[in-house]
Amino acid sequence: MAVVAAPRSDQEFASSTLVREQASLWRDGLRRLRRNRLALISAVYLILLALVAIVALFWTPYPTSAIGVAQIYSGPSGAHLLGADELGRDLLSRLMAGAQISLSVGLLSAAIVLGIGVVVGLTAGYFRGWVDGVISTVINIFYGIPALLVALLMVTVLGRSFTNVVIAISATVWMDVARLVRGQTLSLREREYVEAARASGARSGKILFGHILPNALGPIIVAVTFVIPSAILFEAFLSYLGVGIPPPTPTWGAIASEGVQALRLSPHILLFPSIALSLTLLAFNFLGDGLRDAFDPRQKR
Amino acid sequence: MSFVVFLGIHSLPGNTFVNERVRGASLALLLHEYGLDRPVLVQYWDFISHAVQGNFGVSIVNRGEPITPIVLRELSVSAELGGAALLLTIGMGVTFGVIAALRQNTWVDYSLTTFAIIGYSVPSFVIASLGVLIFGVWLFDVTGGAFYYPLTWDGTYGTVVELTVPAVALGLFTSSLVARITRASMLDVIHQDYVRTARAKGVKNRVVVVRHALRNALIPVTSVLGPLIISIITGSVVIENIFGIPGLGKEFINSILSHDYNVTVAVFTMYALLVGVANLAVDLAYTVIDPRIRY
Repeated sequence: MAVVAAPRSDQEFASSTLVREQASLWRDGLRRLRRNRLALISAVYLILLALVAIVALFWTPYPTSAIGVAQIYSGPSGAHLLGADELGRDLLSRLMAGAQISLSVGLLSAAIVLGIGVVVGLTAGYFRGWVDGVISTVINIFYGIPALLVALLMVTVLGRSFTNVVIAISATVWMDVARLVRGQTLSLREREYVEAARASGARSGKILFGHILPNALGPIIVAVTFVIPSAILFEAFLSYLGVGIPPPTPTWGAIASEGVQALRLSPHILLFPSIALSLTLLAFNFLGDGLRDAFDPRQKR
Repeated sequence: MSFVVFLGIHSLPGNTFVNERVRGASLALLLHEYGLDRPVLVQYWDFISHAVQGNFGVSIVNRGEPITPIVLRELSVSAELGGAALLLTIGMGVTFGVIAALRQNTWVDYSLTTFAIIGYSVPSFVIASLGVLIFGVWLFDVTGGAFYYPLTWDGTYGTVVELTVPAVALGLFTSSLVARITRASMLDVIHQDYVRTARAKGVKNRVVVVRHALRNALIPVTSVLGPLIISIITGSVVIENIFGIPGLGKEFINSILSHDYNVTVAVFTMYALLVGVANLAVDLAYTVIDPRIRY
């Protein structure tokens, strides 16, 4: 069953996110991706997780913030599959809602990083000169500072909320994509077809978004795939330290940090969110590796 | 950079004394005593001119306690943990990477690679919490919770036992990364001609691996050392909070949560200095590994 279902999901993925004009390249990549079993399993897991997150929007077994629906600190049981936390809230419901938070933080940050990276990278790579100099310096400065600490300060200064956490994360992890786009642009702008476009009078905007960007898309998608797990990890870190999205929002990091308080009594509160988080990060990393092998064969490590 | 941090922290809503229910005249007196009623720019000038001389001012929460000695003491604690994690990172990462590369496509390689991906994906706070759970709760009778620092730190440094679990939790992520990179660059190098030449000359296998191959394979590893050190510094914030290690990271979070601006800024400045020194050290390490680079 799963074997039949998986390729279809890849196809949907391809038709919705990838550019169609270069069907041969993408079809080639998808074929390679489909042979990578770990990446496929990861993709299936992530799709399931996304379904859970969507379901959690409308329905959870118990209301996520309802106190005392179960015996406090009770372990897994028939009525509460994953047990309950220190206020008697149902852990499964909270983990489901947490999946939704984690995925939306990851995807939103990735989208923002993609936007910043493409604009900044294209500008630096295409116009070169002092523009490139300034942007490269800024990128290097950002690489030099400990991202988590800056994100931590930013959330503290801006105030603890979902939006501010996403802003702080995006502001500290955008450099990888920007640098990649810059490098790609630098090499692609010298190609003959770009020269031909310029000779036939195409404007800069047309060259950038019509000729350079589509050809750099493979590596960019791979890089953005790796932004998602690091954003999820960042959010969990912040919540775990008590400076992320404020309670009672059930984020995996926050649940894990509640679990540490009650470690001796009921380790399941720590274990379940940790497992969920680790599996998700693992899946994103495997999928990213698979995508890199499939769509970016030159960059093999 | 310290300026931005300073401005940001000082524009936080509320003030340090908000938790202490001081009102009216006594609040004004307190604010005046710590110079917090002056314009922010004046405060910043005051801070930076003293900081250059190595004086970070006094803590606001622990009334009037000078910060510099505290921060320096915490730096030594953090440095001990970070150093242990860095040693682990390089030692374990390079060893595993080399072994995986030499045994390419065998079960040794596969298990080490899988192990590295897991170490790369599981967040350090999960590993740290599991460490506490396994060694501090389940195996309490064996370890006696040995790696916990006492609540009131008496000034002695952690023993090897106390350090191991936190250092492993901190260094696992980075050593996985190093293992991955070492394996890849080692694979590149051992298929090159000069390595074959060395083997053909009848040089012992161990010498070929260590002197010919490894030395060149380490160049890509050095280039990620800077980011690695930053990630160890970042990770130490989390690890210190979990294990109750009285280092810079714990102070950083505490000072943020208790609005102790001066301490937050001081700790952040220390971190910035650390990163600067680390990057310089990495640049110097380049010249040792790769003699072609000169400054």
